[in-house]
Amino acid sequence: MFDRFREVNSTFPRTVQILEHKRQGKLVFGWLCTYVPEEIIHAAGALPIRITGHREETELEDGSAYLHVNNCSFSRSCLQMGLRGEYDFLDGVVGGSTCDGARRLFDLWRHYVKTPFHHVLTIPRKYTPEAHALYYHQVVRFKEHLEQFLGIQLTDEKLHQSIDTFNKARALLKSLYELRKSDNPKITGAETMEVLNASFHMPKELFNEYLKDLLHDLSGSVNTHKGQARLMVTGSVLTNPELIKCIEDQGALVVTDELCTSTRYWSDPVVLDGEVTLLQAISRRYLNNFPCARMFPSDERFNRILGLARDFRVDGVISQIIRYCVPYAHDLPLLTERLKAQGIPTLALDVEYGTSGSGQIQTRVQAFLEMLEAKKR
Amino acid sequence: MINSEVKKNKIDSIIRACGILLRMNKARPDARKSERLYYQMLSNYFTRLLNARDEGKFVAAHTVFFPTEILYAMDIVPMHTETTTWMISLFTGECDDILSAGKELGLASEICTPHRGLAGAFASGVLPRPDVMLWSNLICDNTAKSGELLMEINHCPGFFLDHPFQHSEDEMQYLVGELDDMIHFLEEQSGQKMDWDRLAETVALIDRQIELFREICDLRKATPSPFHSQGFLELLTIDYLFPGQPEAIDYLETLRQELAEKVSVGQGAVSDERFRLMSFFIPPMYLMGFLERISQEFGAVSVTEPFFTYWGEGRLDPGRPLESVAEKSYMIPEMRMYGPLDDRALKSIVGCAEQYKIDGAVYYADIGCRHSCAMVKLFKDILNDIDVPVLTLDCDVVDPTITSEEEMREKLERFFELLEER
Repeated sequence: MFDRFREVNSTFPRTVQILEHKRQGKLVFGWLCTYVPEEIIHAAGALPIRITGHREETELEDGSAYLHVNNCSFSRSCLQMGLRGEYDFLDGVVGGSTCDGARRLFDLWRHYVKTPFHHVLTIPRKYTPEAHALYYHQVVRFKEHLEQFLGIQLTDEKLHQSIDTFNKARALLKSLYELRKSDNPKITGAETMEVLNASFHMPKELFNEYLKDLLHDLSGSVNTHKGQARLMVTGSVLTNPELIKCIEDQGALVVTDELCTSTRYWSDPVVLDGEVTLLQAISRRYLNNFPCARMFPSDERFNRILGLARDFRVDGVISQIIRYCVPYAHDLPLLTERLKAQGIPTLALDVEYGTSGSGQIQTRVQAFLEMLEAKKR
Repeated sequence: MINSEVKKNKIDSIIRACGILLRMNKARPDARKSERLYYQMLSNYFTRLLNARDEGKFVAAHTVFFPTEILYAMDIVPMHTETTTWMISLFTGECDDILSAGKELGLASEICTPHRGLAGAFASGVLPRPDVMLWSNLICDNTAKSGELLMEINHCPGFFLDHPFQHSEDEMQYLVGELDDMIHFLEEQSGQKMDWDRLAETVALIDRQIELFREICDLRKATPSPFHSQGFLELLTIDYLFPGQPEAIDYLETLRQELAEKVSVGQGAVSDERFRLMSFFIPPMYLMGFLERISQEFGAVSVTEPFFTYWGEGRLDPGRPLESVAEKSYMIPEMRMYGPLDDRALKSIVGCAEQYKIDGAVYYADIGCRHSCAMVKLFKDILNDIDVPVLTLDCDVVDPTITSEEEMREKLERFFELLEER
């Protein structure tokens, strides 16, 4: 059921779909952060893909030489792949001023990787009307820059189609997550991550077809999964399903997550209510979406996490934070307190991007599960 | 997680140290008058902070690169949290205790020591509880994310000032709106009104202050360069703590005069200037004396610090005070660490190296500062392109366990040998 997704992920970035897209003379743009509105790139006729790092924890000689070891291993991993030419097919790269790592990754990418088109958006950290106005102008400027680069006019019709396609993906992913609410879900956390990774590494139209098929297959399946505890994973960017598998192998089931590669990527649709323009609707969605730890006030994020914990009946939370991922590291004491107030214990794991889960992680997860078990009794 | 202030705060340790430094200054016949003014200003700043509660003054704690001029114009007592914490640490030797207190709150060791220490200093009562907490994302994620925890520790309200990343008209408008919202917040919390005339006067003085910073930097272009290597820390402290304050003008005018006199007679900061250096980021605070001795020993003088003393172009308009406060935040040298590193930003570094005729650059790669470290390779490359070698020194600005004096001496000696060979 998951082979098609796994194939995309295991061959990324040189997937069959991307290579075919390029063979047809079409453009591929990489984006660096979930605050970059993909619909704009898609409506311009290019394929938007998320730039991610090595699939597994890897020696980052080049990444560390250029970005220094005290920047998160995600940024260093992405940069290393860029420096080694693994993204040399990209026609453009788009970043946002989301965090220190993302900003510097963009700067160094622009200087050393030299992708033909580059654009960075200022992303406000607030949700005020003024912040929305600023972000909207940023989106407009991005659209104009893209139009100028490609020599095209981005029409409302194209934008509408892109919004539909992306909203469809979001709705399908929501359906997938609904399955995870059951006592004995038909899908594990690790399997879900394979689907999620493919969602930003391939054409959305094709992904939607794949996911529709998967949902159909799952509806007819009698296979279910049960764990001794229902867990939520929160924190830094995570793309290696092996880490989730490592957690689940200890006897738990990861039933939901708060990651920029999971719920925070797909959770909110672009709402077209007729009162705002398409670009306003897009910018409103991206700034109001399930927030990253960079946003203020942090309680917006914390409340959403608490909501997820209730909806998915979570017994415990595993906060996995990549070393030097400062926004999440700062939030951890406050989030832990809020979860504790709801009777939900937290296990904090310091990890490197791409980790599959070391023996130490296994031991700590086992101890956490034992604690949760004792709490139930 | 609460600053109960059961223990007495340690602001007085800075005042005592300034008193000793002042006496030492007066005892030296060749001591700079500007240095005397500087210590007196520090002493006054911290005395005002220490007495604020007894005098019924409203205290606003704020993070680095915050527009303190707003607070002065509202007669609010500012507490520059990073400077206060680390001056206390320097003068009491309690760095370990402060960092441990931050760790106990659950803050990871990857969070830079200055900001981990802030939380520790408040939680352990080393810093007094403020009436409000103010912070901004200028300059990094640590500043952006530190405020909410500090609000919880201090049980006080707070305001986060969202500083845009780039410098367009829309972004300026947004920043001015943010400043306006912050003023409303402060008026509500303190019951004190913004004095717009006073803000305009303050802006006029900041404009003068920036001119003086530029004139001082111009004097440092002379060969030999007249200002000692660690002197730039005085300049940045003046901007951090005293923007638009008359005593800052007095200090800067005095310093400018002193340096001009030295330039006119060809007197340098070191007796035999051999190497003109560009410094990136801040050297370890606890090695200042050592680094000054090294500077004398090898005739190596830091003549420019692009992140701290190399101001951007532009003038401020007292007729548009709030817009000027916003504009100033884009002119500060530290903006080079925050804003996009596009070709323009890189050219300004190269231009700076050429103007100051530098022989080499020393990059203090603070292990906790992701922003500045991420630029090490890039700046090395662009400076190597104009034949300027760069030495990278791994260190921590406050934590003495990261690097030793011996290690630093060895690396600097080797670097100076290399410069000598060239």
